Amino acid sequence: MPLVRADRAADPSAEGHGDSGDPHALLEELYAAEASRRRAAARNLAMYPHAAPALCARLVVEPAASVRSVIFTALIGLRSDAAVQGLLPCLRSEDVALRNAAIEALGHMPDVLEPYIRSLLEDDDSDVRIFAVNVLGALAHAQAPRWLEAVLRCDPHVNVCAAAVEGLAELGDQESRSALVDLPGRFPDEPFIAFATKAALARIGTV
Amino acid sequence: MEALLRAADHDVQPALSPEQFARFCDFFYHHTGILFGESKRYFVERRVLDRIRASGSEDFRDYFALIRFDASGRELQSLVNAMTVNETYFFREDYQFAALTSDVLPYLAGLRQRPIRIWSLPCSTGEEPYSIAIAILENWNDADEHAIEIHASDIDSEVLAQARAGIYGQRSLQRLSAQLRARYFTALPGERFRLHEAIRSSIDFGPVNVVDPRSMARYRDMDVVFCRNLLIYFDDLSRRQAVEAIYESLAPGGFVFLGHSESMSRMSSLFQPRKVSDSIVYQKPLDGE
Amino acid sequence: MSHKRILVVDDALTVRLFYRDVLERAGFEVTEAGNGIEGLERALGDHFDLLLVDINMPLMDGYEMVRHLREDPGLHSVPVVAISTEAKDADVERAYRAGANVYMIKPVRPARLTHTAQLLTGARAS
Repeated sequence: MPLVRADRAADPSAEGHGDSGDPHALLEELYAAEASRRRAAARNLAMYPHAAPALCARLVVEPAASVRSVIFTALIGLRSDAAVQGLLPCLRSEDVALRNAAIEALGHMPDVLEPYIRSLLEDDDSDVRIFAVNVLGALAHAQAPRWLEAVLRCDPHVNVCAAAVEGLAELGDQESRSALVDLPGRFPDEPFIAFATKAALARIGTV
Repeated sequence: MEALLRAADHDVQPALSPEQFARFCDFFYHHTGILFGESKRYFVERRVLDRIRASGSEDFRDYFALIRFDASGRELQSLVNAMTVNETYFFREDYQFAALTSDVLPYLAGLRQRPIRIWSLPCSTGEEPYSIAIAILENWNDADEHAIEIHASDIDSEVLAQARAGIYGQRSLQRLSAQLRARYFTALPGERFRLHEAIRSSIDFGPVNVVDPRSMARYRDMDVVFCRNLLIYFDDLSRRQAVEAIYESLAPGGFVFLGHSESMSRMSSLFQPRKVSDSIVYQKPLDGE
Repeated sequence: MSHKRILVVDDALTVRLFYRDVLERAGFEVTEAGNGIEGLERALGDHFDLLLVDINMPLMDGYEMVRHLREDPGLHSVPVVAISTEAKDADVERAYRAGANVYMIKPVRPARLTHTAQLLTGARAS
């Protein structure tokens, strides 16, 4: 009989270590050699709001995807202004995976992110503006369509506007129509813009 | 005609337009990884209309705005619960057990020098871990040369008790051949069947809460986790925590089986999708720290 | 003569619809995926003559997807076009190192997309 019974359920010695201990010790554990210890530290730091800056600082230098994931989860759980402030610089990172994970994480904190949206949408760097628009597209915030319409009317960069069209395809309503209708006129030489705005308008009409 | 009849028994609630249905299915897929097709239209419509009513929304447009813009995600949770069916029975989605015995176990046998560990989570009333046991005994030719541990966990102590007892009705055994039924079960009065003691006692049942790290810490160095039709019920934060906890419980190179219509593509990038005889399995990287 | 099959991987619906529109007009059969993991799942599950992969995607970006793709013996040589908003040399190099064959910059123009797809799949121009 190949099946062997090995009792895990009642094995207290297998309890995880590093469970919500002293925050200072946990901060040190964030820099431990083993990824499993760093993950445990991040998981436990999730209950300390003041840990947000330290978690973000580790995020930027952390090489293990599994640890980054737990840090992001901790930040999403904290959902605080400090977490947002720590994540915003990631939008400028050269690290594509970090950028995209930060966008996703910020998307889980619509209310805390709101005060920062305007300045992000006015950033000099078009890449930051694209990322800000991408966050908006994932935001469960009632004002998001209005912000996206403003981008369509004013942003000079075609890819920023393309991202905003995509956002409105998901979140747009009747009020969004005029900004969409006017967009191809701003970029007459871009077949993609003409197509995408038509697609977004069609989708808005369906709800 | 059908639409008229349905409208009649729904107090004149209009059905969804084709575009609304498509939009809804898109959204639901994006958020849960579950894809509903045309064949499920009545199923979906019915439940969406119920939720529109239950949430106090005026119409589909109103409801759609609610589920998209409600940061709490509460209605979305209710919607997911309404959309998913909880039935469990022996050899449910058994193409995955076939993938287990034909490819995954042989692969792991080559890798591991210690017992191979399989975990059914949640195990509910036991059909899944017992199906795994039977599938292994019936279909893995090399089973006798290896030690295999099957662990089974659930948050609900009542279903665990039922699982340990191992008594099932006809409905639960519908996919088992008469042969398998005779081989592994004893018939009881009242069309009930009891799984043989040897199989029952070979499974390690225990309580677990997937989002509680201390609870999950008891399970380490697992090789295969069956986590079917659980993660869809979680909100985004809990789902991340659960997937990370499962990652933690697996040895490098270990596998996760999700439910038939679920996908890691909406959950996490910690696992690598792999094609294993017609199913997609997710593997923790061999060098996964 | 059967149609050549293209997998389009981009998290933006409007972009996927655009590529579908352009490529279907040129006689290609198009399948969509919304992120790198889904793209990998589709590529593993079916035969494609060409993959169009966006770089900036959530959960798994295009670089990672192409790297994983190339690890699979069956997908080692399927042609891949990496598509991005970035135009820097470093990004282009990175895409090639990950295993892409061609690098295109958004917004993509229909004629260029069609021509590249025909070239990489060996499809005849209609």
